[in-house]
Amino acid sequence: MASTAEPILEVNGLVKHYPLTRGVLSKKQIGAVKAVDGVDFTLDRGETLGIVGESGCGKSTVAKLLVNLEKPTAGEIRYKGEDIGKLSGRALKAVRRNIQMVFQDPYTSLNPRMTVGDIIAEPYDIHPEVAPKGDRRRRVRELLDVVGLNPEYINRYPHQFSGGQRQRIGIARGLALRPEIIVADEPVSALDVSVQAQVINLMAGLQDEFDLSYIFIAHDLSIVRHISDRVGVMYLGRIVEIGRDAEIYDHPTHPYTQALLSAVPVPDPTAREHRERIILVGDVPSPTNIPSGCRFRTRCWKARERCALEVPALAVPAEFRFLAGPESHDSACHFAEEKQVVPEALE
Amino acid sequence: MLLEVRDLRVEFRTRDGVAKAVNGVDYGVDAGETLAVLGESGSGKSVTAQAVMGILDIPPGRITGGEILFRGQDLLTLKEEERRRIRGAEMAMIFQDALSSLNPVLSVGDQLGEMFVVHRGMSRKDARAKAVELMDRVRIPAAAERVRQYPHQFSGGMRQRIMIAMALALEPALIIADEPTTALDVTVQAQVMELLAELQREYRMGLVLITHDLGVVADVADRIVVMYAGRIVESAPVHDIYKAPAHPYTRGLLDSVPRLDQKGQELYAIKGLPPNLMNIPSGCPFHPRCPMAQDVCRTDVPPLYEVTHAGESDGGRGSACHFWRECLHGLDR
Amino acid sequence: MPEPIPQEPHTAGGGRTPEDGAIAATGMGGAMDLATSEGETLEGPPAAGPGPSATPRSLWSDAWHDLRRNPVFIISGLVIVFLVVISVWPSLIASGNPLACDLAKAQEGSQPGHPFGFDGQGCDVYTRTVHGARTSVTVGVCATLGVSVLGSVLGGLAGFFGGTPDSFLSRITDIFFAIPVVLGGLVLLSVVTSNTVWPVIGFMVLLGWPQISRIARGSVITAKQNDYVQAARALGASHSRILLRHITPNAVAPVIVVATIALGTYIALEATLSYLGVGLRPPTVSWGIDISAASAYIRNAPHMLLWPAGALALTVLAFIMLGDAVRDALDPKLR
Repeated sequence: MASTAEPILEVNGLVKHYPLTRGVLSKKQIGAVKAVDGVDFTLDRGETLGIVGESGCGKSTVAKLLVNLEKPTAGEIRYKGEDIGKLSGRALKAVRRNIQMVFQDPYTSLNPRMTVGDIIAEPYDIHPEVAPKGDRRRRVRELLDVVGLNPEYINRYPHQFSGGQRQRIGIARGLALRPEIIVADEPVSALDVSVQAQVINLMAGLQDEFDLSYIFIAHDLSIVRHISDRVGVMYLGRIVEIGRDAEIYDHPTHPYTQALLSAVPVPDPTAREHRERIILVGDVPSPTNIPSGCRFRTRCWKARERCALEVPALAVPAEFRFLAGPESHDSACHFAEEKQVVPEALE
Repeated sequence: MLLEVRDLRVEFRTRDGVAKAVNGVDYGVDAGETLAVLGESGSGKSVTAQAVMGILDIPPGRITGGEILFRGQDLLTLKEEERRRIRGAEMAMIFQDALSSLNPVLSVGDQLGEMFVVHRGMSRKDARAKAVELMDRVRIPAAAERVRQYPHQFSGGMRQRIMIAMALALEPALIIADEPTTALDVTVQAQVMELLAELQREYRMGLVLITHDLGVVADVADRIVVMYAGRIVESAPVHDIYKAPAHPYTRGLLDSVPRLDQKGQELYAIKGLPPNLMNIPSGCPFHPRCPMAQDVCRTDVPPLYEVTHAGESDGGRGSACHFWRECLHGLDR
Repeated sequence: MPEPIPQEPHTAGGGRTPEDGAIAATGMGGAMDLATSEGETLEGPPAAGPGPSATPRSLWSDAWHDLRRNPVFIISGLVIVFLVVISVWPSLIASGNPLACDLAKAQEGSQPGHPFGFDGQGCDVYTRTVHGARTSVTVGVCATLGVSVLGSVLGGLAGFFGGTPDSFLSRITDIFFAIPVVLGGLVLLSVVTSNTVWPVIGFMVLLGWPQISRIARGSVITAKQNDYVQAARALGASHSRILLRHITPNAVAPVIVVATIALGTYIALEATLSYLGVGLRPPTVSWGIDISAASAYIRNAPHMLLWPAGALALTVLAFIMLGDAVRDALDPKLR
């Protein structure tokens, strides 16, 4: 699906620091939570970019920045070549229409005091140019049908639905304005296993039907692989490795990705014996106090002196630069080497 | 058998009616064995564990039938005081949310030491020394210094280790771990699971691992029971169940999980929703969602059939499906 | 050491079903999935299922459903309706003039036509007690309205926008909380010469708004953190839309509850101030004035004190009970 056409979304050097202040009225800055600390990626039309990482790696903040819920401290987000950080008023509203979000928690993301019909129609109230007033009810029913809910439920309240159904309502709201990009932040992690599959299939189906591009953010590596064309792995506010799904999962070159993948439990008891597990030592450092050089070095078994001094760039490592194989993809490690950690599928 | 649950039934009375959370559950764990109880929310897996531990909220909960045999003694006939003596010393529980399970105003050393003061009558000083030893055992670095710290000063993974230390304190024969790693990140989850498995081997404890994660189960369990709507739908040694599930619900669960090692096409999705416990479907509770359902499934509750291979018993496998043969051999596909 | 079992965090519809508590803690596995009352499947047409939540229900209709069955609410509600009716039309049950007094009958006890007897000025206690309700209800309702409007607007805006104005407002409310109410009333109202209820109401609003402001600020901040507010913001919704449509309906319940309870205390405060001589003054008819006047004769003619004091106690109790019932009904955790 990779194309030479201009990407629909381009993120360059995105940074979000939350200042830590002390004092009641005279706020003195004593530091900053570096939630996102220099993130670059592109998203092509019709593509799904998965972003994985553990809690606190900044993936949710990236989502908020993309839908303009937060203003970046630095860097730019280009939608079709236009930096949305520089837009305001009508132009910003128009861009917002095209980038919609699906939230993680289906219990808090729907206003309990509004009917399902009002929730899904709210985008039309805010962007009245999209649908004439008389047509909105019909569109809402259509959307309910599209996400697999009975259109007769239009007058019900969110609490009358199960978690999976609520997430469908959230997706219907996200689709209402016919956006081109949907940013989904952990859209299935609050759901039961059997319901997760329903929602993932729905999202995959909608992508084809409405020609959507997804940014799919999750901590579950299996789900991300299932839905994504490309995957970026985040650690402490940065992408450490990014590439096509097979490149990342079958030919990871960054030690963090390798550790992450090797830690995922695989539903196959025969894999128990012959599977190598990389158990990382220690915990993720605090985002207020990021290690110098490579931010992963405090937990990395390969760390050497160079890692504390030099920040590794996210690029194809030198040793793979002239290879055409799947190991040749962007990886921010001074000592990148390929290591297969996911056992081959036994079929 | 170390622990044997027989035909346990638990109900909850609520404003809207009676919810039948557990409807005749049987399972057993031996010393040194890991039994995984697999199920989605509302399957009754945690309620069963709470009944075993004797920490069920009564009311609204009510145990309406069955026995819980611990070393052959029915716990349900014991007085509360006798049960309290067993709890902690003989069986312990690990919870999902370590932060809310630890008292925020007491140092972890005090909380660990309290076990020894209360159950073993140790002095504060000895108890503190024991606490440090335990923290070492669960591999918390710099235990001697950190013993004075408070729960919020530890990371999620470290807190879960403290919970494990607390459960292990009196060297119980049985540990019930209710989603012990669900709240943790994968890399930390792997550390904690490995620790738990290792300690279990070392102490030859029985471990009941309650989880919804098919991956975690595959990694550590010896046997699995799968629960649905308060019943056990399948019970089998771990290898068999992943190779060839004998219940359509188990098969559906296995098929609906995306795999790390392959990019699948469309995921299999079990249709519909888990049942309302106030109004459990007639016959087999899974029939409204089952692709194999026949008329008999709507009328007759399936017993836990013994799964056999060519007439031979298959290592104590059971399936609560009228059509387990067809499911096991994939004849319906 | 039995740890607390994590409780079901989402309470609504059929979600009161106990479930695997541990999962609910992180929201892994929707607790609601087991509790949908409709036995429907997602793909198929909805199965007919007249479950308990087949008709649309909101928090408000749930609350009303609870209230109608709550005897505390019914009793206090009836008392309040009765009070409101007689304060609007006192002549419905008391035809006399509360200011028509006959000194010759001073302190006389109960007699035909005058069931509560006469006070020290020879006025009919029954008529005065009935007419006193108007003052009490006016003061209570007006003070509550004023306090609620001022407090919730200031507190709500401060909570919504945060930042320096919020810190500033919080310090101001702290200052107001430091003023002792009765002492403040003695000082401030002693310089007022007006003979109407308005200075008293004004004083109550002045000292009462910080209480509501705090509640409103807190509940707005809680509501603001919900994802549905983020969702609206991501859609590009304006501040006013977010405040009016998403935050206010979800933040207003605690304010209503506190205001209802406060209403009773304002009525008592009016009586207190009048008793101390800085509230209302004759010829205004008020329970506080009557209690104050009767207190001198408590040994000889206790009936003069009993009736207005009893009416006051009953009224305050009714409003506090109503507030309690409303709080219970609006708190989904209690269901």
